[in-house]
Amino acid sequence: MFRNNYDNDSVTFSPQGRIFQVEYAQEAVKQGSVVVGVISKTHLTPTVVLQRNAEELSSYQKKIIPVDSHYGVALAGLASDARVLSNFMMQQSLASRLTYDRAIPLAEITSRIGDRAQSNTQHYGKRPYGVGLLIAGVDQKGPHLFEFQPSGVTQEMAACGIGARSQMARTYLERNLDQFESSSREELIKHALRALKESLSQDKELTVDNTSIGVAGVGENFKLYEGSAITNWLETTFENREGGSEGMEVDT
Amino acid sequence: MTSIGTGYDLSNSVFSPDGRNFQVEYAQKAVENGGTAIGIRCNDGVILALEKIISSKLLKKGANKRIASVDRNVGIVSSGLVPDGRHFVSRARDEASQWRKFYKGPIKTAALASRMGSYVQAYTLYSSVRPFGVTSIIAGWDSEEPAEVDGQVGSGPSVGPGGKKEGVTHGGPFLYMVEPSGLFWGYYGAATGKGRQSAKAELEKLNLQDGTITLEQGVKEAARIIYFAHEDSKDKEFELEMTWISSVNGPTKGRHEEVPKALREEAERLAKKALEGDDDDEEEARPEGERMEE
Repeated sequence: MFRNNYDNDSVTFSPQGRIFQVEYAQEAVKQGSVVVGVISKTHLTPTVVLQRNAEELSSYQKKIIPVDSHYGVALAGLASDARVLSNFMMQQSLASRLTYDRAIPLAEITSRIGDRAQSNTQHYGKRPYGVGLLIAGVDQKGPHLFEFQPSGVTQEMAACGIGARSQMARTYLERNLDQFESSSREELIKHALRALKESLSQDKELTVDNTSIGVAGVGENFKLYEGSAITNWLETTFENREGGSEGMEVDT
Repeated sequence: MTSIGTGYDLSNSVFSPDGRNFQVEYAQKAVENGGTAIGIRCNDGVILALEKIISSKLLKKGANKRIASVDRNVGIVSSGLVPDGRHFVSRARDEASQWRKFYKGPIKTAALASRMGSYVQAYTLYSSVRPFGVTSIIAGWDSEEPAEVDGQVGSGPSVGPGGKKEGVTHGGPFLYMVEPSGLFWGYYGAATGKGRQSAKAELEKLNLQDGTITLEQGVKEAARIIYFAHEDSKDKEFELEMTWISSVNGPTKGRHEEVPKALREEAERLAKKALEGDDDDEEEARPEGERMEE
C-alpha cells in the first residue's frame, strides 16, 4: 500500500534513524526558485530570481521579505510557510526592541525559528515547514548570513544558495569564495548576480522583472531593490562579460 | 534485526513481544550517524570535544558552535540530530534556571543529568512524540567552595549554606551521558557518535579511574582521540571543537569555557603528529612483510 511504512508522519524514525517527512519537506525547498546570498566584511546581499509567474498576466511571487530595519529573509519553497515564520520573526524582533531597546541579533532570531521548526518534527499532528530561508542582515557584530532548513538546522554561511538548480550557483560561490570577504558593496552584488545566472536554465535570463536584490551593510539598513532600481546592476554585471567574449571572437 | 515488517516498530511507546521499544532503537541509529563527541573527566576538571564534519565549503569557518553552556559551570555536547541537541540544551537551561529560582544556587551536575534523563525518558512514553535523536554528554564542575546563596542577606546558617555538612566532601568534576531511552550513567570517559567505538577503546587506555591525568594532558588526549576517531571517515573534512571546565583555582575558575585557541592548536598539532607516527610505522612494516612473502 505504501512505498514506505516509515514516511507517514514526522514522529516515526526509519530503521536507519531517518525521518522521511523531514526529508520530504527538504525536497519542497528544491522545488522553489533559486535564492543566493553573499557576504563580505562590510556588506551582504541576498539575491533572488522570481520565476514563478504562472502566466504572462500574473505578477511574480515576492521572495524577499524585509523583517526589521536591520535584516530580511529570502525564501525558497512554500511561501505561506515563510510568511508564518517571517511574521513570527517580526513579532520577536519588535519584542526585542520594545523590551531591551535593541535590534535582535541575527544568531538569536535564527535559532528561535530553528527551535520552532524542531518542535514541528517531534510532535504528532504537526508537519515540518516546507521552506528554506536565507536570513541576512547586520547587527552589532557586523553582517551575517544564516541558512534555515525545514529540519530546524540553522547554519552561519560565508555564501549560500538554495532552491531549484542552486547547485550551479553554489559551485560558482565555492570557486570565488576567497574574493568575497574583501569585496566592495558593488562587487558583492555582481558576484551574487553571476552566481544566480549560473543556476538559470538555458532559455531564461535575469531581467528587472524576475530578479530582486536585498542589500544591508555596516551603517546601512536592509533595503530591497526591485524593478528599475536594479537595471544598472544587471547591465554592468553582464554587459561587461558578454562584451569581453565578443572581443575574443573578433581577435581569433 | 527482525523487527521490520512486524508492525511493532511503527509507533513510539509500543512494546514488542520481547519487551523492546524499536523507535528508541532507531533513534539510536540517528545518533550513530552523527559526528564523534567525547567527554573526559580528569582529576582537576572536565573536557568536552567534538568532531564537526564540514558538509559544505560555504559554511563560515569557526562559526556554528555545537558545544553549549548551561548556567556557567556546565557544558553539553550532543551527537545525532543537531536540532534535537539544541532542544535538549534549551531544556537543560530551563532546568538550571528553575533550580536557581528554587534553591538560590547553581544546579549540581548530577541533579541536572537526572532531570534531563527523566525529560528524555518522557519522550518514550507516548505515541504522539518521537524519542530524541541525540545522545548528550553533560560535563560540569560543582563548586567545592561553600556556595554563596543568591540574594543572601546576613550570615546564613552556621553549618554552611545549602545545608552543607562539615567534613563531607562536595564539589569536583562530573561527567554524564544521556541516551535516547533516557538512560544515563556517570562516566570517567564517555564517547558517542560515529567513531564512538575507536574513541572508547582509546579512552579505556587512559585509565581515567586512577585519577592521574591532568586537565592539560586531558585536552591533548581529547584532541588526539577525536583525530583518531576521524580516521574512518577521512574523506570528509572536520573542525575540532573543544571546551573545558576546571576547578575554581584552575584556568577556567570553575566555569565552562572554550579551550584557548593556542592550546587547542598545539593539541591538534600533537594529534596530527601522533597519527603520522602511526602511519610511518605501517610504512616501515610493509616492506618487511613483502620481503617475507618473497
